Amino acid sequence: MGTISLEHSDRLYWLGRYTERFFTTLKALEKQLDKMIGTAHSYEDYLDCFGYPDIYTDNRDFIQGFLFDESNPNSAAYCLERAYDNGIVLREEISTDSLSFLQMAKDTLAKAKHSDNVRLALLPLEDIIYGFWGSVNEHIYDDEIRNIIYIGKTVERLDLYMRMKYPFESVKREYVRLLKNLNRVPRHTPYRYNTKYLSGLVEALGSEEDYRRDTVKALESLAHLFESEEVYA
Amino acid sequence: MTQNTQFTKAVGNANEINELLRRYGVKFGIYKNGVFNEQFFPFDPIPRVISAEDFKSMEKGLVQRVNALNEFLFDIYHDKKIVRDGIIPEDFIYISSGYLAECEGITPKNKVYSHISGIDLVQAKDGEWYILEDNLRIPSGASYPLIARELTRIAAPQAFEENPIIDNRGYAKLLKETMEDVNCGGARAILTPGRYNAAYFEHSYLAEHTGSVLVQNDELFVEDNILYHRTYSGGKTRIGVLYRRIADEYLDPLTFLPESLIGIPNLMEAYRSGNVGIINAPGNGVADDKGIYYFVPKMIKYYLGEEPILKNAPTYLPFYEDDMKYVMEHLDTLVIKDVAEAGGYGVVFGSDLTKEKLEEFRATIIAEPRRFIAQEVIDFLDLPILENGETVMRKADLRAFVLSGKTTKVWASGLTRFSRNPDSFVVNSSQGGGFKDTWVLSR
Repeated sequence: MGTISLEHSDRLYWLGRYTERFFTTLKALEKQLDKMIGTAHSYEDYLDCFGYPDIYTDNRDFIQGFLFDESNPNSAAYCLERAYDNGIVLREEISTDSLSFLQMAKDTLAKAKHSDNVRLALLPLEDIIYGFWGSVNEHIYDDEIRNIIYIGKTVERLDLYMRMKYPFESVKREYVRLLKNLNRVPRHTPYRYNTKYLSGLVEALGSEEDYRRDTVKALESLAHLFESEEVYA
Repeated sequence: MTQNTQFTKAVGNANEINELLRRYGVKFGIYKNGVFNEQFFPFDPIPRVISAEDFKSMEKGLVQRVNALNEFLFDIYHDKKIVRDGIIPEDFIYISSGYLAECEGITPKNKVYSHISGIDLVQAKDGEWYILEDNLRIPSGASYPLIARELTRIAAPQAFEENPIIDNRGYAKLLKETMEDVNCGGARAILTPGRYNAAYFEHSYLAEHTGSVLVQNDELFVEDNILYHRTYSGGKTRIGVLYRRIADEYLDPLTFLPESLIGIPNLMEAYRSGNVGIINAPGNGVADDKGIYYFVPKMIKYYLGEEPILKNAPTYLPFYEDDMKYVMEHLDTLVIKDVAEAGGYGVVFGSDLTKEKLEEFRATIIAEPRRFIAQEVIDFLDLPILENGETVMRKADLRAFVLSGKTTKVWASGLTRFSRNPDSFVVNSSQGGGFKDTWVLSR
């Protein structure tokens, strides 16, 4: 196709970010669900990662709020809606097939909300999101389009992994992945990527010690790497 | 073999088909009390079946009709012979909201104004097809039977093995060819008002399947009378053909409505200079005015020297004295249509009105005779639909799609819409109607 508008480039980026935010949030909440078995309050560490206040009465209240409450901007449901909002206007770029995975994810999450066994009902979501990424890889022929989505995905993953205090090796792996994606950016589009912030990332993620010490700096650099306006439908 | 037994395979897989339609997000948008909602378009798995013989005759009639309408549009924006020869009174041209003086003298490529025509037909109980409306501005609906067929073939392949059904999946190819016939050199683009348009699914689906760029107005600009798409890297790509899905009056704020926020300044200059093709051509709304509908059989005779193959529903124009008299005498049995309305709105069945309302309406028609047409209510064929596992009969119409580029072609399919309300003739999706696939048999 060879012609991408500014708005679509933003939406591609945020499609990548929100899909990944949904996926990583979901996986983190699944771990929380496991920890909650036989305990009353076992979600404080999750709230601490993001600096969210504890306003929840019990495990169930927390899970409802973070999994299914679409009005909570930190919930999995909210992230999925935003991913869909971005995807729906990118049909001709990402394909109807790719979009169908987001619709399936929405339907599966909606069903899980009313399920007696939430963990079991959430299980297909992991497959669906892997299917989405497979479809993106398969159906998007334009490398530039695919790369913008992947940069969004990797930026989000790095951001969340650092906030959730993932091990350095996992973060480093994603960081290398981001560098590879940035290397694929065509030379004629440099202004979309503020590579000067890369040096901040390089310093912060240079070694395990740097990572422990400079996470905040790394998060800041990451936020400015792709100067994209979030587009609301 | 009866229709019911013939299609058991498709019906038996109704749940699977609807699951797939849901998965693929086959939706339309609707505004209720100012709030936008996206809804799944209810699909009925029992297809409408058109025999090969029936389609052959319908196809000829549709090509004839659309060719005449295109001749009419060229004439109206150039010599106006049909008016000078007294075939159509000028009142019906110049006060029509679809007539645009700004299009005078512009000649679109191949002299085609209506590239994609959505012609609404109904079949009477005696098997005769009647034309109900010619939708020439921005008719929508082709994407629904297109994706429904794709998914039905997955869910119920047996139905297609056992029946000689013409494959309808070439619509995107037809559309792409039509766009290329008009292309003035550059990329193909589909202009959408945005996600909150009722037909957004269709805009994006057709963009995907024709390999066109889906654009909104702020991504486009005109420079030196050439239309460009502004790319995210700061470059520009020339657009050679624009399939616009917004109404004429919003297309260019410097030519039409200055308050339009969804138009492209100077687009009409680029078009007038022959640097971009616009599908459908601006100004063609004058031919899909419900008042002009009355004159289409006359146009066919006038321009083509042929007898119309497809009939209009018996129609009266209160504008004419004799017709007014008839309408006044039979108001309680006629269906009255406001020529300015669309989407099933502005349609009143005289039989539904109370005595008081009937008199009020009579006064309105007398005061504004040009605003209305009156038609006999055609007792059209009910089609079977599946409702809660039972087969029930409902009113249905057919929107046939006719594409005109270098030649005029009829898509061997169409959108069959049905009313879900047993007491209603109104089939529009915006009013709760559903749709079914249209099978055209090859033999």
